[in-house]
Amino acid sequence: MANLAQLDLGARGREVRLRALLEDLIEYHKGVYPNGPLALAVWFGKNPNHEDNSLLELFSQIPVDRIAGPTRISLHWKSGINELPFVNVYASSVEFFSDQLHANPAALAAYLENFEVLFFDKQRLTESVLRSFNVVTEPLGLVKGWYLSSDEYARFKSLRGLMSAYGHAKPALGLVKTEESSDFENCRGLLHVEVNQRWLPISPEALSVYSFYNDFQDGRPGYLLFQGGSHYRIVKFEVKTAPDYSNRVLEKPRDDRYPEVYLRAVHSPENA
Amino acid sequence: MTDTLKSICEQCIHLKTPKLEFIPVGFARHRQVILRDPAELVSAATKNHEKTVVILSGCVLESVLFSFIQSQEAYIASRRGNFTFNPDRSVDNFVSIFNRWFRDILPGVVLPDLMVDYRDLVHINRELNAAEDICESASRDMLRIVDRLLGELNQFADRSNAPPSQGQKISDIGQRLWKGMVRLWNWVRTVSRMELTSPDLWRIVVSPTFP
Repeated sequence: MANLAQLDLGARGREVRLRALLEDLIEYHKGVYPNGPLALAVWFGKNPNHEDNSLLELFSQIPVDRIAGPTRISLHWKSGINELPFVNVYASSVEFFSDQLHANPAALAAYLENFEVLFFDKQRLTESVLRSFNVVTEPLGLVKGWYLSSDEYARFKSLRGLMSAYGHAKPALGLVKTEESSDFENCRGLLHVEVNQRWLPISPEALSVYSFYNDFQDGRPGYLLFQGGSHYRIVKFEVKTAPDYSNRVLEKPRDDRYPEVYLRAVHSPENA
Repeated sequence: MTDTLKSICEQCIHLKTPKLEFIPVGFARHRQVILRDPAELVSAATKNHEKTVVILSGCVLESVLFSFIQSQEAYIASRRGNFTFNPDRSVDNFVSIFNRWFRDILPGVVLPDLMVDYRDLVHINRELNAAEDICESASRDMLRIVDRLLGELNQFADRSNAPPSQGQKISDIGQRLWKGMVRLWNWVRTVSRMELTSPDLWRIVVSPTFP
């Protein structure tokens, strides 16, 4: 049991409340510039015991060449009260911040100190900003792709045809391989979907809402096509307890239960 | 051959006979709208109208989340610190709120971001940028997910409305005792850190805010 003296519930409560107030402000700022949507909001120099907090906001495509601010705002702004706690807002553009990360990283050190990302829109952020603020949205080794029913798969005569039909579309599924045979003909792995911009493993409970699982249960062959052109036939599903998989996923399930899909490589649609 | 929408729909018991236990009694207009839309959705699915099913499923998804989140305002506020439901937000915001605050208690109905993309197929540009068979696969996934969502929310409401069992009562008492102990402990720590004169101590002890 944790030492009661170490559980500073008061501080935790203050932090939760501060975070909620900051998120409310961020929610409002999302629509401040119609042509420059908010892409990132970071609570930096974080100290929930301080009455003055600091927030960095990066907007996409706004023409600025500096980090503006700080603008001091009461976190009770909604009620029109100018009282503690306050937040000092620093604002800039994604593009300027990215350039500075390369050109003058020392000048940005304060923003990268003891930070917490409260909001991000990964489509609007550069790789360098994502990396700097440790925004991890995909587990290592994730391959992304699509499910194809046997009817859909049969329509295509070549890999080129498949890729031209799906290559431009947003991926619907992800796979983190847990094992692959040495000849690359068979593999198994954890299926993922994107939830709140992060690729998370599908839970055993959620499996049955997806067509790829239902088709398989009904005895119909199904295929997974991945970016780059590799494609597989679904061989079986298995739900297993595997605590060691927790380091392969961004968020581990409470009970360490994972549905694993077994796949066999298919080399061209005609051979399916 | 893939399941037809009609055959999938036949298995969607929550869509065919929506119970809407999770909608509070005071939300009569919400209930009226949500009861109408699944009926139209079932009708479209029975006729295998894929695009209609995608769009209407999106409507049902949005109205269900809208009503559920609104009715759970106090619950979210208790976990988040504060929370005010904003009815002007879009479906992606509702999906995000739902996933953030209910994923741990309703793990069977995590809503993938793809649901919002499917709902956006109402815009031709979105459909042109998607895979050719998008309506076929989206309609099937949407039907199943919306049906699952309705089922899980009703179960959640049943659990919330059920009278507490003996075990739950004991657990509630235990939780209250624990909270009391923590508050007492915090108070003792606060007092021990302060160099108090007796009037100060008296003021703290008799203060109506204590504990």
